Amino acid sequence: MADERARLRVVVVDDHSIFRSGLRADLDASIDVVGEASDVGSAIEVVLRERPDVVLLDVHLPGGADASLAGGAEVLRRAASEVPSTRFLALSVSDKAEDVVGVIRAGARGYITKGASGDEVSRAVHAVASGDAVFSPRLAGFVLDAFGAAGGEVAAADDELDRLSGREQEVMRLIARGYAYKEVAATLFISTKTVETHVSSVLRKLQLSSRHELTAWATARRLL
Amino acid sequence: MSTALPVRRLVRRRDCLVAGVAGGLADHLGWPVLVVRLAFAATALLGGAGVLLYAWLWALTPWAEPGEPGASRMAGASDAGASGSGRVVRRAPVAIVLTSLSVVAALVAIVLATTRPSADATEWIPATALAVLAAVGAGAWVGFIDRTDPERGPRVELPVRIVLTVVLLVLAGALMLGAARVQPVTALVAALVVLIGIALVYAPAFVRLWRDLTDERVRRIRDEQRSEMAAHLHDSVLQTLALIQNRAGASSDAGRLARAQERELRSWLHDGDASADSDLATDLRDFAAALELDYAVRIEVVAVGMSEERASGELAAAAREAMLNAARHAGGDVTVYLEGSPRAVDVYVRDRGAGFDPAEVPQDRLGVRESIIGRMRRAGGSATVARGAGGEGTEVHLRYETEAPRG
Repeated sequence: MADERARLRVVVVDDHSIFRSGLRADLDASIDVVGEASDVGSAIEVVLRERPDVVLLDVHLPGGADASLAGGAEVLRRAASEVPSTRFLALSVSDKAEDVVGVIRAGARGYITKGASGDEVSRAVHAVASGDAVFSPRLAGFVLDAFGAAGGEVAAADDELDRLSGREQEVMRLIARGYAYKEVAATLFISTKTVETHVSSVLRKLQLSSRHELTAWATARRLL
Repeated sequence: MSTALPVRRLVRRRDCLVAGVAGGLADHLGWPVLVVRLAFAATALLGGAGVLLYAWLWALTPWAEPGEPGASRMAGASDAGASGSGRVVRRAPVAIVLTSLSVVAALVAIVLATTRPSADATEWIPATALAVLAAVGAGAWVGFIDRTDPERGPRVELPVRIVLTVVLLVLAGALMLGAARVQPVTALVAALVVLIGIALVYAPAFVRLWRDLTDERVRRIRDEQRSEMAAHLHDSVLQTLALIQNRAGASSDAGRLARAQERELRSWLHDGDASADSDLATDLRDFAAALELDYAVRIEVVAVGMSEERASGELAAAAREAMLNAARHAGGDVTVYLEGSPRAVDVYVRDRGAGFDPAEVPQDRLGVRESIIGRMRRAGGSATVARGAGGEGTEVHLRYETEAPRG
């Protein structure tokens, strides 16, 4: 299966060499690790030099200039606009809301936890490389929470940024329940491609929305 | 104890009239309280010595410790109950007395200043001074001392301030209209003092606001340090634990131990953001952590919305049973999704095991039929057990419609 897919060039950014080498060994054969970096400065340098397809980016990185920003988000803010064809996939042991939302809003296309197996990471890398968003159940749950889905808020128009449409909520609920994309598609009688479109649209809302709950985490630390 | 002369520490009673000074001194000396009070009153007339002594004792004497033997036993039968507890009970409504005094003094001053304005009449000056002093005292008392008393503080604070403001404004107006015609400079200064008095009535509120802000800042700094420490631990210990899980495999012993340690450390790091009160989500998370130690399973609990559901309910019991089933029979990755809306609570437990058909389960196996489906039906909810999407694994859906909020 891996051979049918195009080979991907990947840069791994993590401050622990042991984790980088572990991840490198676990990724499947279709993925070439072309560079590694251990802090904000070297990450930006390697990404700009190699222009990889995907960057696996740790959320917490040392060497950031802006102390209020997790290191990963800073790499995104400073490097992403220079390499428009590169996708970023955030990887972290943290599942705190402010870390997740910080790095997604900075431009990451997905978020997985470091507990994920090599196979899962490889699949996520391929999904991100082909333009899809990668949502873990936890991130889906967080999105539902942040957009007030449990309180019954539904977007009136599809392009409304501060609320999710009914279909997007259904997709997010199923992902939060542990469904894979193709299982979501089968359950809702839609194509996998449509599921991916919905997920990407949710990701866009997550990045662009000015909804209070989303921005609160970012601003709460600097109020006083 | 009976042979030694009982020497009692000088402490102030917690169940007191104003500040517990006279009562405490009476306990200490073994005199009746009335005698002490009269002594204070008498010496107060001797150039204010009693007042000074009272203030000095007030400032330097500690409160009786809750349940301190001397305090409660000597306090006498009538006071024994309250002095044992930690709360300070002041029986005298000092703020209201001071407010009334201020109002009376202000009325006297108004009458004197408006009805008999003459160039050498100065009787309104001490009355005005008394009104202002009493007003400032009352403001300070409600703002600093009565504030902590839940029975008096918030309820009295606003009326006292309003009354004092109105009275002092009228007084200032009367001075400008009455006394100012004959003694312009004195009246102007006096009116200014009265206005400053109004500001001082509100000063305690501002002082408190300032303190709150400072406390808030200290708390924020502490939180920041905490999250900084959390970030450092993320970088080191949690990473290593994640790596162990990754290398050892999610269901191996080492992997499970590492995951349990990770959860423990994580909950310790983040216990600031979660309420101590155990709601359904917290309870299921704890249960998931316990299951992961006993079974080769990795459980992710995702909770959405505000759940009023308590951990002790039938829904929680059914959800735990479903999770236990998934851990025991399916293993691997299990996802628990919890959504609480104002009308209903939904719990989904999804595993990716071999799956089973509820109809084929033997009659004597009570796990699913009784502990999950029957339990939910009895509690007025519903439960469905079905094959997971794509025919893989099992999904249990528990639903409990919450009652409409009662008025």
